[in-house]
Amino acid sequence: MANLGRLDWYDIARNTNWQPTYVQEDELFPPQMSGSMGIPLPEWESYDEPYKQTYPEYVKIQREKDAGAYSVKAALERSNMFENADPGWLSVLKAHFGAIARAEYSASTAEARMARFGKAPGMRNMATMGMLDEIRHGQIQLYFPHEYCPKDRQFDWAHKAYDTNEWAILASRHMFDDMMTTRGAVDTALMLTFAFETGFTNMQFLGLAADAAEAGDWTFSNLISSVQTDESRHAQIGAPLVAILIKNGKKAEAQKMVDIGIWRAWKLFSVLTGPMMDYYTPLEHRKQSFKEFMEEWIVTQFERSLIDLGLDKPWFWDQFLEELNYQHHGMHLGVWYWRSTVWWNPAAGVSPEERTWLEEKYPGWNATWGTNWDVITDNLLAGKRELSYPETLPVVCNMCQLPINATPGPTWKVRDFPLDYKGRTYHFCSEGCQWCFEQEPERYKDHLSLIDRFLAGMVQPMNLAGGLQYMALAPGEIGDDAHNYAWVEKIRAARQKAAA
Amino acid sequence: MALFPLTSNFQGDFVLQLLPVDTENTMDEVAAAAAHHSVGRRVPARPGHTMRVRQQGAKEPLPRTLKVSESGLKPMECIEVIWE
Repeated sequence: MANLGRLDWYDIARNTNWQPTYVQEDELFPPQMSGSMGIPLPEWESYDEPYKQTYPEYVKIQREKDAGAYSVKAALERSNMFENADPGWLSVLKAHFGAIARAEYSASTAEARMARFGKAPGMRNMATMGMLDEIRHGQIQLYFPHEYCPKDRQFDWAHKAYDTNEWAILASRHMFDDMMTTRGAVDTALMLTFAFETGFTNMQFLGLAADAAEAGDWTFSNLISSVQTDESRHAQIGAPLVAILIKNGKKAEAQKMVDIGIWRAWKLFSVLTGPMMDYYTPLEHRKQSFKEFMEEWIVTQFERSLIDLGLDKPWFWDQFLEELNYQHHGMHLGVWYWRSTVWWNPAAGVSPEERTWLEEKYPGWNATWGTNWDVITDNLLAGKRELSYPETLPVVCNMCQLPINATPGPTWKVRDFPLDYKGRTYHFCSEGCQWCFEQEPERYKDHLSLIDRFLAGMVQPMNLAGGLQYMALAPGEIGDDAHNYAWVEKIRAARQKAAA
Repeated sequence: MALFPLTSNFQGDFVLQLLPVDTENTMDEVAAAAAHHSVGRRVPARPGHTMRVRQQGAKEPLPRTLKVSESGLKPMECIEVIWE
């Protein structure tokens, strides 16, 4: 007897809703956990997932994916990629693994919540596979960097970072905890799978895989492609929910969650992905600038997705587009200047040729960001490296937890966005971050930024050594210039040539 | 005499920085303390110019001899240090 085709039985098999008789519906699906907003159960049953996959299919495909990624790794273990790679590329790997690997485990709990408490059967089915995806992503992104630990201690931060109070991880954890571990199934799906994954990570992983291939790191390229194929499936959990919410008069609620998710994702991208693409990736391997990448993949594509689903462009869209011109330049300069406080070695990326590229991609870069880098460069040329290290802390935002910065030089657009709430003054980097706080102030009000902790005496002694200890950065782990300042010598040679 | 934290936004620099000062410091001393973390590090020096302190968004700088304790500035308030 021939088997039924998948679509002949899929809907029946995955429609696991039933009428509870021993408990109330709200006990089975507590509204706080399901985020159901009073929408009746039959409405949730109209959820139509765009990606229909059965569990046997899932297992078969995942097994093949894992076999592929692990066999490429095994085959290339003797390839000397590590020894031959540009140090800037190794910094990309270190920053990526530290910020992402353990967050994947956290994401598996978010998927588990959707798998258990989502009221839409199709959502639960997709999230069950999403949960397994994220466990796989956690494991594979811890296993792969482990190979490098004996060669370079900073790779240990793939596992260690998430348990520390290092500032970039405080920022990462604040955002991921907000969207992954502390909200109901619907909010999580809108913020994590729709705003963050559909809007941002799906594209980031495509870009990273391409950069890795360009840099000759086939192991990482395969790993990232393998992860991305899962993302592109489970990232689709959120979109069908939007249709249900709009149909049931909850467009404003959906829009708000998506807007918060997009804004928060943007800020984290500006510190992680922006510097990687425009400064760490060796010049000869850069395909697109970060701004070009964002405009093509995030702005154009995601904007279309929003409109197609019946949502509006977020209220901050113009500000977001404006920030594409400058925010990541500031994040990069901040990370490089405070480089002893990160677990990777930032590549300065400001050699003469790189500055020409930056000016071409971001007209006006030299007259703005270049003015700050000129002073740094002159100090390094004059042997005054001590002036290229900080003696105080940057003030960080009470929402994104990242340094408050903007364009320097003659245009000088830096400013604080302060807000008083219940006797405490909060400092934000932007209208967007302040707006996120104002939507749910009770949710965020008790969090202490690194600066708040410093001022509260939680960092002892109150100096750089105390700060590094608080952030768990041990000797051999603290960052310094990726190329050991070789770019400064290039500038010296260029200046001598010009003078001759 | 008490430690007093401010937020420094130095003209031409790119980032807000924590600026520990003393309540007895004058605005000129506050400006000099802010300059220590910006000028010659990322902002070029401007010989012949004076540095003045103003509250964020204010048009007029605060008087040069005004003490922090007399200024009405709040802890961690963002001050702008501008060249004059």
